[in-house]
Amino acid sequence: MAALDLNAPQADLAQDAAALDAIWRDPPGIRGFLTTVDHKRIAARYLVTTLALLVIAGILALDMRLQLSQPGLERMGPQAYNEAFTLHGSTMLFLVSVPVMEAMAIWLVPLMLGQRNLAYPRLTAYSYWLYLGGVLMLWVPHALGITPDLGWFQYPPLSGPAYGPGHRVDIWAQMITFTEVAALAASVNVAVTILKMRPPGMTLARMPLFLWAMLVTSVMTVLALPAVMLATSLLIADRLVSTQFFSPGAGGDVLLFQHIFWFFGHPEVYIIFIPAVGFVSAIVETFTRRAVFGYTVQVLAIISVGLLAFGLWVHHMFAVGLPRLGASFYTAASMAIALPIGLQIFSWIATIASGRPRFDTPLLWVTGFIATFVIGGLSGVMTASAPLDLQLTDTYFVVAHLHYVLIGGALFPLFGALTYWFPKATGRIMSEGWGKIAFWLVFVGFNIGFFPMHLLGLMGMPRRIYTYPAEAGWGTLNLVATAGMLIASLGAAIIVANAVISLRWGRRAGVDPWGGATLEWSCASPPPPWNFAATPVVASLTPGWEPPPRAVMTGLSLENREVLVTSVGDAVPEHRQPSPGPSIWPLLTALATALLFVGSIFTPWAVVWGSIPVAAALIGWFWPRTRPEEAQAEAP
Amino acid sequence: MLAACGSEDRPIERERVRTPPQGAADARIPYYQDNLFQVARGARFFSWYGCGSCHAAGGDEALDLADGKWRHGGDFDAVFASIAQGRAPGMPAYGSRMPVETLWQVTAYVRDIEKQDAATRRRQDLDRRAEGGGRGS
Repeated sequence: MAALDLNAPQADLAQDAAALDAIWRDPPGIRGFLTTVDHKRIAARYLVTTLALLVIAGILALDMRLQLSQPGLERMGPQAYNEAFTLHGSTMLFLVSVPVMEAMAIWLVPLMLGQRNLAYPRLTAYSYWLYLGGVLMLWVPHALGITPDLGWFQYPPLSGPAYGPGHRVDIWAQMITFTEVAALAASVNVAVTILKMRPPGMTLARMPLFLWAMLVTSVMTVLALPAVMLATSLLIADRLVSTQFFSPGAGGDVLLFQHIFWFFGHPEVYIIFIPAVGFVSAIVETFTRRAVFGYTVQVLAIISVGLLAFGLWVHHMFAVGLPRLGASFYTAASMAIALPIGLQIFSWIATIASGRPRFDTPLLWVTGFIATFVIGGLSGVMTASAPLDLQLTDTYFVVAHLHYVLIGGALFPLFGALTYWFPKATGRIMSEGWGKIAFWLVFVGFNIGFFPMHLLGLMGMPRRIYTYPAEAGWGTLNLVATAGMLIASLGAAIIVANAVISLRWGRRAGVDPWGGATLEWSCASPPPPWNFAATPVVASLTPGWEPPPRAVMTGLSLENREVLVTSVGDAVPEHRQPSPGPSIWPLLTALATALLFVGSIFTPWAVVWGSIPVAAALIGWFWPRTRPEEAQAEAP
Repeated sequence: MLAACGSEDRPIERERVRTPPQGAADARIPYYQDNLFQVARGARFFSWYGCGSCHAAGGDEALDLADGKWRHGGDFDAVFASIAQGRAPGMPAYGSRMPVETLWQVTAYVRDIEKQDAATRRRQDLDRRAEGGGRGS
């Protein structure tokens, strides 16, 4: 039975390390690679994949900026340009932004909880393999010359059977199914882990804000993502088996697609943004050396953003001819969401102002985030107004707005978070000097690159055009925008180089290089496969700043993989839960699922026959196996 | 797979045809007949020019384009000629109304109809008929 041990700090438990190593280590070589359920290894490959795609889709953006740098350029034709912005948008929204936040959660949540793994380790593996299937679904056909070309939201009737011939639309739609099933798997996993696997003493009211952010994000994901899978599945049904959901001629409704899509699409913006809020709170706390100002306000703000996010999707559709009263309601709702976010911004500013800020690279990214995101938020309040949006929709103003909130609001905190947790993940610190240079290049380049787009939008430049005539007078600002992008790209290249070089030659980090307050800073850097030798016991919001000795809880098995399950509200220990070990079944199940998804582009029968391999793989996955401990107990 | 890539091509930037096909083996024919985008363009023009008002699905056997039977020949150049020059008794000559490339695209679509199943064709017609811009059928 587990026992509360007040006098055994982590270091004294080192003798357990050999035993823990034997049960938590992965098999060596390729077998371990394919079967691992270690949340850190899976998160690492998730992160590498998403960041590689971020670079590739960023290069596509640079290509488009070069194309627009002068009027009348023909280096890209209209078709190539359509494919470029579709690939860029679809990759960034579906294959980078959401998965990268999941990757961070998969890596960080167990560490911040003092746990050894997520609640459903094999589901983590399944999630990654399926996500990788989504990546291949979009990029392999692209390599073969079949690229979706209708933008990152593919509205019918343009994407319907009459106007979207071939398989380009189907590829896009099924890529979404892949990534959204993967995201659902990750979100269920993260939500259950946060609710049921908190260390003793970490009541809901003592949960770090990052965990609150991930909990709300995960619940939002579970509610929002089925909508987009519904939208794309109905679209595929229209195209493949001639259903009439989106056919006005047969009594269907093209706007139905937009409603379902944006019912997902707008919460998705916050599904990307709220984890970033969690990064910001963690970084602000550590680098101002005080607990975050207004913890309760922050928690309530995150929850209200999560709720309001589901009530304002129609502001993406102001131009489609909705009743005026409805439009006014969504204008009000869209403006209302600025209030909780404003509260959060003020809380961070208050934390920085009243703390002892140390402007290392992570906090620089946070200040860059605050400045940029406030501009993006203000242009958001502008476009929330239905009459103004009628003028601005589908212009570069919207392009500027969405990049201010997504890059400024989500990627800047992400870069800060990567710098902040890099030493924990790798054991080495990234160069501060190069980190600051990269920050200023990206921050300045980004603003030079995207601020002129507000003006271009007000001047009437539409988005999604491959070129424009010189007489339009947009040439100078476009050239400035391209120059800004080049500066930012240089900064991004320095970030990548800094990370790669620091991985090999960076300064050794030790357990806690920044003086962090949360639990992940009390395990080794990089964490061993079992993370913590004993479960920490928490008595405040900032356990890392409590004076030693720090209480821990021992008693988890040294013979089998076990994790501690606690109660939802007060984190009272309830029982020890066996934790599954390495398995090939998540990969096989993902392959079977991929077969079904890919096949259903070509024939509806794939759903029928494809479910047989999926069922077989799931039976293999869940086949009851006797654990060694039980076998011994049953032996005579 | 390579054939599939060709059929998926969106030949927006290629030079357009300016002359009718030279026989049934004209080298330009595959660029239209085997390309999904060109066939879909042809379908749209088919609807815009009101072809469906006589050649509706499930209509008169002589006017049925879906049964694979061709009274004046089913080769690309023959179908092209039927559309461009008209056929007695009732088929008007569209050569003076449609640009040359449109004739190629409509020809490709008309020859493609027999390969489509009825439900797909009906579903696509529903979308095109609901379109505001064309005359429809």
